[in-house]
Amino acid sequence: MKRRQGWLFFILFLFTLSVYLLINYPLQLGLDLKGGSQLTLQIIKEEGKVTRDELEAVNSVIDKRVNNLGVSESNLQTLGGDQLILELPGEQNPLVASRVLGKTALLEFRTQKKGTSTDLKTLQLQRLNIKELIEQYSSAEKSQNDDNFLKVIQDDLKEKEQELNYTSTSKDLYEKLIEIKKYVDKEITNLFIKTDLSGKDLINAGRRQEQTNNNWEVLLTFSNSGGEKFAEITKSIAGTNQLLAIVLDGESISEASVGSQFANTGITGGSATISGNFSAENARELEVQLKGGSLPLPIEIVETNTIGALLGSNNILKSLYAAISGLIFVGIFMIFNYRILGFVSVLSLVLYGFFNLALYSLIPVTLTLPGISGLILSIGMAVDANILIFERIREELYDGNTLTRSIDSGFQRANSSIVDGHITTLLSCFVLFLLGTNFVKGFAATLGIGVLISLFTSLNCSKTILRFFTTYQSLRQKNLYLPRNNFSN
Amino acid sequence: MKYKLELIKNKRKIIGFSTVLILLSLLGIFYSTFNTSYKKPINLGMDFVGGNELRIERVCEEECSNFSPDSVLEKLREISKNKNVLNNIKLQFQNNNKLISIRTPYLSIEESNNLINNLDNIVGPLNYESKDSRLIGPKLGKRLLTNCVTSLLVSLFAISLYITIRFDKKYALFALLALFHDLVIVFGIFSWLGVILSVEVNSLFAVSLLTIAGYSVNDTVVIFDRIRENLKLKNEGYNETIQLSVNESFRRTTFTSITTLFPLLSIILFGSYSLFWFSLALSLGIIVGSYSSILLAPSLLLKDKA
Repeated sequence: MKRRQGWLFFILFLFTLSVYLLINYPLQLGLDLKGGSQLTLQIIKEEGKVTRDELEAVNSVIDKRVNNLGVSESNLQTLGGDQLILELPGEQNPLVASRVLGKTALLEFRTQKKGTSTDLKTLQLQRLNIKELIEQYSSAEKSQNDDNFLKVIQDDLKEKEQELNYTSTSKDLYEKLIEIKKYVDKEITNLFIKTDLSGKDLINAGRRQEQTNNNWEVLLTFSNSGGEKFAEITKSIAGTNQLLAIVLDGESISEASVGSQFANTGITGGSATISGNFSAENARELEVQLKGGSLPLPIEIVETNTIGALLGSNNILKSLYAAISGLIFVGIFMIFNYRILGFVSVLSLVLYGFFNLALYSLIPVTLTLPGISGLILSIGMAVDANILIFERIREELYDGNTLTRSIDSGFQRANSSIVDGHITTLLSCFVLFLLGTNFVKGFAATLGIGVLISLFTSLNCSKTILRFFTTYQSLRQKNLYLPRNNFSN
Repeated sequence: MKYKLELIKNKRKIIGFSTVLILLSLLGIFYSTFNTSYKKPINLGMDFVGGNELRIERVCEEECSNFSPDSVLEKLREISKNKNVLNNIKLQFQNNNKLISIRTPYLSIEESNNLINNLDNIVGPLNYESKDSRLIGPKLGKRLLTNCVTSLLVSLFAISLYITIRFDKKYALFALLALFHDLVIVFGIFSWLGVILSVEVNSLFAVSLLTIAGYSVNDTVVIFDRIRENLKLKNEGYNETIQLSVNESFRRTTFTSITTLFPLLSIILFGSYSLFWFSLALSLGIIVGSYSSILLAPSLLLKDKA
């Protein structure tokens, strides 16, 4: 008797603890329930596997970049050794993130090869032309109906391709223009020689609006050694016709001359400015990329998921309806069929629900739609254990055993089936969790936790509650435990 | 003793019925592989092949104006300069013209954004709070598919290992046969659904197959447990004991299936759209699984009287 009371108090204690946990540590909702964007980033490596170090390096660079973007509550996780999952809660446009994240941002400083001035001038002129074409294209796109204008751009583009002796491979006109621009930027880069100054020597980046026009410029601050290198490089080309190129990911974004006044010392002070006709947005993106450092390996965005906030809250409501109506259906069915026993199972199901949710907030498990369906499904499995036990108890009662004995041996004899059944389900959950993707993991986690808790609630809680009930004389009548139409198998 | 379920008498009928179901499923799988545009045993959704799926609601005063999908597509083509984005595009209006759902091959984030902007111009205004957009690259899709197939195989292996250890080989073999029976039939039903209604399967379908596997074995194990226990306790014939055990477990198995079907039914009725086919697959699996646990697997255990 004492031991039974002990369990009863323990269960009541767990219940109170669960309620406390749920009030103080709210459940974490996945993006499909609160809205936001989720991006899956794939690290690209031509040969071999992505090492742990590389993964961590990419992770930390992306992390810095996201933080610099100023997205609050973002969350970055690694997945499967060569993927990262980035969550941007709230209705975020994944567009900005994608532009900033996808770039390697390898920054180099290069000096011009001698005797390349004419080539450079031609290329710079080409670049200017293409930039104009791109702008024209954008305005044509905005006005939407200017097909003639697009035709002109298309013809100009063909001419450019002939001059450059390069044929673009993209299908779309806009992509063709961008491709040609990249090609020219790369050609320009080829006229320059690498120096030992690179993005690694940066300690900070910033941006400001140029005073003379609306364009923005990006400010670079070098480390001490970087500052020295920069001074030396600028000294070596000061006053000559050689230019200094700032190269980002193999494409020259700006070429500058160094005035002869720097011939003695070079540009000291450890900072530099890149002014390359940046728009406010472009300058900010470059700033974020440089601040975060360069990615050791390029990445590609392979999946995006965007869910509006309204849809998210609708999903919560729908899941709530589904869970509650599911519980009610099951409860009515159980009480109808098993009477007192059914009522016990309903109580232990309610406990089951609370324990589950409390554990989610404790672990913590992020609740997603598939996660909720795992929870709802595990309700069915939890009831299964109860049914197994109740059927056994009834058999014992039919055999003429006393109530107490029937209950005890009912639990005992159902034990092995329950454990077997739960283990096969757990095995599936385990495999799903190990090999599954994000969404699948959520389902596996909640179903697995549910199955484990169900072992406890069905074997222990149901038993304790049932024994508590049978201490009352009025609840000890056998017919309360048997079906109304008492048929025998 | 009077049995509700006459297994011994009906062994042939039960095995025959299952064989027919399996053949119908295989027929669906073959038909789907050789006579459809996608040439796969099952219509793989964008989770596995990559693509872009967009659902967004329109903001309407009272009733949403009617647009024909073709005219919208035509306008989209006019507006968009990038024509090849609009190849193979599927556009539908649902829910009294309020909900627009679009499927296209894989688009970049920029292209997808452009598409939404253009739509806003044509049928807008749109409610961005109700946007549900998914982009999956083709490479990731392939990887997801391999992942799903591997997890299915690994977990099937783990389950067979467990029941071989827990029971003897014969029981394990028949439990597994029943399991494959259930999986093939659910797979077959979705092959047919793909052929007839263009229903696509996504990674949640793989999850449902795995869950069905766990559930089906669970069900069968409970009955085999009972058979084993009774074979030790009772002094009746082998076949009779099996029949008795099935009848003893019958209520439990049907009740369990019913209580699991209730929550699934609630998801089908009230749950989010994205879980509809998933819950349906699970429900079918549970129905087929209960049938195979109660009738098929024990029938296979029965000895033919020579």
